[in-house]
Amino acid sequence: MNLEALLEGILFVVGDEGITLTNIKDILEIDDETLKETIKKLSLSYSNKERGITLKVLGNKLKLTTKEEHKEVYKKLVDVQDPNLSEAALETLAIIAYNEPITRITVDEIRGIGSAHMIRKLVSRDLIEEKGRSELPGRPILYGVTSKFLDYFGLSSTDELPKIDDIEENDEEVDLFNSKYKEID
Amino acid sequence: MYQVTINDFEGPLDLLLHLIKKHDMDIMNISIEEITKQYLDFITKMEEMNLNIASEYLVMASELIEIKSSTLLPKKEEETEEEDERENLINRLIEYKKYKEVTDQFKQLELERQNYYTKPEENLNMYADASEGLDLGDVDLNILLEAFSKFLVRKEEEKPLNTKITKKEYSVKQRSTEIINVLKNKKKVYFEELFETNKKDYIIVTFLSILNLVRKHEVNIVQENNFDRITISLRGEA
Repeated sequence: MNLEALLEGILFVVGDEGITLTNIKDILEIDDETLKETIKKLSLSYSNKERGITLKVLGNKLKLTTKEEHKEVYKKLVDVQDPNLSEAALETLAIIAYNEPITRITVDEIRGIGSAHMIRKLVSRDLIEEKGRSELPGRPILYGVTSKFLDYFGLSSTDELPKIDDIEENDEEVDLFNSKYKEID
Repeated sequence: MYQVTINDFEGPLDLLLHLIKKHDMDIMNISIEEITKQYLDFITKMEEMNLNIASEYLVMASELIEIKSSTLLPKKEEETEEEDERENLINRLIEYKKYKEVTDQFKQLELERQNYYTKPEENLNMYADASEGLDLGDVDLNILLEAFSKFLVRKEEEKPLNTKITKKEYSVKQRSTEIINVLKNKKKVYFEELFETNKKDYIIVTFLSILNLVRKHEVNIVQENNFDRITISLRGEA
């Protein structure tokens, strides 16, 4: 059987769930080298202008996606766009992503405001999940980001998170309040 | 003109950052007096507008007032402490600002990710069912009948047996005598050793008996340290 064809089929079946490289190797019973070769060949054939899908690594998993340049066309198919995440949600997610595993109390402390409700919402959207319990009194839940979180922001792994320390250095350039909170009175 | 209200902020730290920005203050060198004034003015204005103010905002207000008042007091050795509080606030602001700023990049990533689509996972359950389905082979009606009657017998056996439940009653008096006897034998027992059975009424009666014996000065109860095991002994023999 043709490996590229099989890989393509597997990726079609798993859809947005994606599949890890280790898992593909197990299913196809092939080694690293062969897998790399197969992915490369498949990806090359997708790069052809006549093809409408492409390969992406999102949240540590290989997935089939449509091509970015076709977005405008697909948009016509979409009735309602899911609302984007709120400022509060992004802020909470960022704190969790850079500090995972982290308790809710620590998130509250950094934000200076209660986050229980927001954390529940993010858990129900599958963007964060429980990652065990802290040894602190009361054994509070530790939260971390999910593979879906990485996919949501188009990241292949947590290593790709925007660097925070860089931002601190370029303080002058980042002017957050510029647009939204410009003037009062 | 657009009026900024408390609902535009994600919390007291967010509001503070806004005020610092608006009044062109340097975050590292904020004047506590100035920022406290601005903060309280803002909160008061929001109250006048009858807006709901989350308690966290009021906590921050009181923290600011506390730092401010300690700066007004004549300086003694505690000077460092007051500096610490201010520093603490500044550090919190810087830490918060870090995440606040990175959200813009997340927003950008979010938008970029919306440029391409994936499809939901295939549901393969129908294949799973087929492969694990029943293989009826050459079963005829008689075998089924036999199996069913066996099942009925088994069902009959599973029925709960009739049984009588009697309740054993414990009395404090009886239990007290028992405890005394145990103590006469062993001289000293650990508190938990007296609770052999894990039944609620037994535990209660035992506990009441111990209390009663202590009240009547018949036994001594000793615990060396907090959370140590409690020992019970007959009075006069400890």
